[in-house]
Amino acid sequence: MKIRRATIHSYWLMFVATVITVSIVTSSQLITGRIGLLLDRQASELLAADLVVLSTEPLDDRYREAAQDHRLEVSQSLSLRTAIFVDDSPQLVELKAVDESYPLRGRLERARQVTETKSTSEQGPVRGEVWLDSKLAQLLGGNLDLGDRQFVASWLLTYEPDRGGTIFNLAPRVLMNLADLADTGLVVPGSRVQYRMMFAGEQADVTVFKNWLTNNLVPGEEIQDLENARPEMRRALERTRKFFSFAIVLTLVIAMAAIAITARYTSIQEMPKVAMLRAFGVSKRKLLVYYLRQLGLLWFSATLAGGVIGWLSQFPLQWALDGWFGRSLPQIIGIGPFLTAALVGLLALSGFSLPFLLNAMATPPMQVLRTVVDRRSWFRGLMISASAIVAVFLVLMLLMQSSLLAMATLMLILVCALLLPVILGLMVKTLLLSSRRHFWLRQYLLSRLRASSRGAIYVMSGFSLVLIAILLIAVVKDELLGAWQAQLPEDVPNYFMVNIRSDDVVEINEFLKQRQIEASAPYALIRARLAQINGVRVEDIKFDHPRAPHQIIHTFNISYAEALPDQNKIVSGEWINDSGDAQISVESGVAERLGLSLGDELTFSVGSSVMKGPVTSIRSVVWENFKPNFYLMTNAGLVQDLPQTWLLSATIGEQNKADLKQLLKRFPSVTLLDITEMMARVQSLVDKASFALQFFFLFALASAAIVLLAAIQTGRHEREVESSLLRALGARSRQLYRVHILEFTLMGTLIGFFSAAIATLAGWAISVYFFNIEYQFSVMVWVYSVVSASLVLTIAGTLVSRRVYNVSPMKILRS
Amino acid sequence: MAEENFCIILDQVGKTVETPEGKLDILINISFQVRFQEAVVIKGASGSGKTTLLGLMAGLDQPSSGDISLLGKGMATRNEEQRSAIRAGKVGFVFQSFHLLQGATALQNVMLPLELSGSDQAFELAQTSLEKVGLAPKTHTPVEHLSGGEQQRVAIARAYAPRPSILFADEPTGNLDAVTGHQIADLMFDLRDELGTTLVLVTHENELLERGDRQILLESGRLISQ
Ligand SMILES: Nc1ncnc2c1ncn2[C@@H]1O[C@H](COP(=O)(O)OP(=O)(O)OP(=O)(O)O)[C@@H](O)[C@H]1O
Ligand SMILES: [Mg+2]
Repeated sequence: MKIRRATIHSYWLMFVATVITVSIVTSSQLITGRIGLLLDRQASELLAADLVVLSTEPLDDRYREAAQDHRLEVSQSLSLRTAIFVDDSPQLVELKAVDESYPLRGRLERARQVTETKSTSEQGPVRGEVWLDSKLAQLLGGNLDLGDRQFVASWLLTYEPDRGGTIFNLAPRVLMNLADLADTGLVVPGSRVQYRMMFAGEQADVTVFKNWLTNNLVPGEEIQDLENARPEMRRALERTRKFFSFAIVLTLVIAMAAIAITARYTSIQEMPKVAMLRAFGVSKRKLLVYYLRQLGLLWFSATLAGGVIGWLSQFPLQWALDGWFGRSLPQIIGIGPFLTAALVGLLALSGFSLPFLLNAMATPPMQVLRTVVDRRSWFRGLMISASAIVAVFLVLMLLMQSSLLAMATLMLILVCALLLPVILGLMVKTLLLSSRRHFWLRQYLLSRLRASSRGAIYVMSGFSLVLIAILLIAVVKDELLGAWQAQLPEDVPNYFMVNIRSDDVVEINEFLKQRQIEASAPYALIRARLAQINGVRVEDIKFDHPRAPHQIIHTFNISYAEALPDQNKIVSGEWINDSGDAQISVESGVAERLGLSLGDELTFSVGSSVMKGPVTSIRSVVWENFKPNFYLMTNAGLVQDLPQTWLLSATIGEQNKADLKQLLKRFPSVTLLDITEMMARVQSLVDKASFALQFFFLFALASAAIVLLAAIQTGRHEREVESSLLRALGARSRQLYRVHILEFTLMGTLIGFFSAAIATLAGWAISVYFFNIEYQFSVMVWVYSVVSASLVLTIAGTLVSRRVYNVSPMKILRS
Repeated sequence: MAEENFCIILDQVGKTVETPEGKLDILINISFQVRFQEAVVIKGASGSGKTTLLGLMAGLDQPSSGDISLLGKGMATRNEEQRSAIRAGKVGFVFQSFHLLQGATALQNVMLPLELSGSDQAFELAQTSLEKVGLAPKTHTPVEHLSGGEQQRVAIARAYAPRPSILFADEPTGNLDAVTGHQIADLMFDLRDELGTTLVLVTHENELLERGDRQILLESGRLISQ
């Protein structure tokens, strides 16, 4: 009767573990796809589109047609510098003319007055009207002459999604309707106009179209997407996505560990039954069919239940996230997620439980009469591992399509799964060696952990794996959030001052100093185009990196400085010295994309002049710190005579806002750029993603609970027998109680200690190699790990031992 | 007869258990005494209550009626905890299915009851005991690697190591072949002779039955002869 009850119990655990696995897959498939889409969309808003082509020449209408063929929306805008009169003095403005479709992504924000509340708008100005930058607020409500035409200045433009496209070189904005532009007569041959054609649509369509576009661009045209336009956004986005898929794999690993542990437990429970049936002459084939049917039933019902739970799970998440994103999650329809989940469930279940069941099937009938020592167990161990490896591998391939991270995660799991029992076993053995003269308690506990009949080592391994995965999610999540925060310096600048003329630099610096406004060193900006690498025209070089073409058509902002800018780090070579030799320092991402290494000779064209020098250092840059950062820096001598403007970042508090007005008055060419908005966007992106992840943590915890249950269930019988044996041998309650509690505490401590070590190691590797963030060693991980593991196991164990230590010693005579 | 002369005294002992089919009397009105250094063998058909009786005598369980005095101490009124204290170091057990601690060595198994009763010479006593059962070469072998006969010898070493006053054994040779069973029986009686232990054993084996000083026959929970 005991066996029967335990059997039902073990099947039940296995069932729940499978349900959790299926739910995780369903839920993640349903949700992460949508969140990924949403993250992309949100980021796209910064471009007002998914893809943009820029040129100083009018753009071919072929692009529009091709885009429409690719089912994309198209919008066009055009911007140019022009002067308007403010109080009879000329003011340079950045005029932008947009069509009715603009913006394709994101929304405009406008207000009637500086003081009035902002409202959003899906469209730019109607014909005959213009919207003005808040710096031109005094013109609001009046008429504004632009070239040959007069406009009504109807709104203040308070937010424009693609304003920061390149964050430098911005004069106050005037936004108008594209249809009015021709009437103004402002665009004449020779005017410096930037034409933009913007595209948006389904991601797949955009990708196809982008390929087409790349092959059809004419020189002088440039493609912008998140990749090249917003490095800080792209980085945050990439990291978040990586982290997301990583966390889901780990959650899944936990769930699969739960299946493995419960399957093992089930097979052990089944062994006596199998032995008996075999002894009665039931054929192996019959038994196999019986168990396969059992497993099939379990899989089928678990898939149904898991599918329903997974499907339901998207709602709370969606509700929570909708509020935050301010729009509903894009829908993913179809049975794909459910099929994938069912397949993963099947793979996991068969991969982990079949070998165990085959193992149980091989139970010699002799087992009925007495314990038979199995001498072929290493072969079975191998078979079990191999089958589990294949299952995990298939599942990961199915879910992650062979990404590097998936492979790395697999490696981690394999190493853990294979080494955990060995290492834990060794740990226990080493502790055991220390004393041969004493047995009771410490040695006794350790020998209990070592006893193969209890499978304590396997259960501990499973639990460790679960804990490692949970710790890793927590560690990397903190890293992800923390890295972003940590890289923001104490004095986060909130303004960029750009477009500073060389003649004004000293004065502006003086001005800021007088008013005690904190500012970065001023940096010169020289706009340059990369022409040659090692004397070969870049057009003629075949680059390996897919992003290299973008980089080449990109105009670089080159700067020079004596000191290495804040939070830049020299990866190789040496920072620019004052020898006066030509020296170029390249940001590591660019170096990687263009395949540059130290000593490569770069030639740039700056306007009509040419400038060249060797790469003397490669630098890593923290783009997220919102300080002036540059892809390329040179020694001063190389570029200081070329045309340039200056920029600096400053922290301007409320009390200095008045000074700002003064500054703008004295230096009209300077443009102020508020970057708090941009920072807030990156921050919210990371926040939302990490919230969504907390949700998967629930699944992780549920699986952990199952593993814990299995851990405590396994060996319960042995524990009861031993309890009554100790009783018979005269042990007191206190002694028994102590043994049981200590056994679980010892298990917990070993597991916690070990998991913290592995999680730290893996966390370091993952942070450094996959997220490119500095790893901060955290003592708290160890504390959490050891305390939580020993606490959870002790408490759970104590609850169980209460029953166990009350077992009558008579049991020993009857078992 | 003075009570001190007896190691175990059973006085109208009965054991009743609750079953789904109602109350079941396993033992009914059993009275007898066991002298110090006596070897008492309990026999009877399967299900006649032998194991139950042995458990009661050893203080592993409480009688439903009557009283048992073990080493001069009444069992009926003592709780499990107090009975444990009486057993510690004074009572040894040998079981049909050995019941050694898996994962521990032979030596550690023998040391266990010694250390439980607070002996500070556990290591030495355990080694001596293992030598006596002829297992000196296997001292540090994990018990699961020992043969059945060897395992039972470890169990005997464990039982005798604290020099108990009484040794209880429930079919100690039941799981062994005839030759090994014979050796185990020899060992148990030799050690009893050497240490002057009282022996209470349940068995079907004729050999053991004959070697006992006295036989107690149970039938359906009743004492038929002694
Ligand atoms: N807790 C219990 N509940 C119900 N019945 C019990 C319980 N304990 C013992 N019995 C019954 O009491 C009877 C005597 O059991 P016991 O184990 O003492 O027999 P035994 O003489 O040792 O038999 P065997 O030679 O087969 O070992 C059996 O019929 C058994 O089923
Ligand atoms: Mg019996």
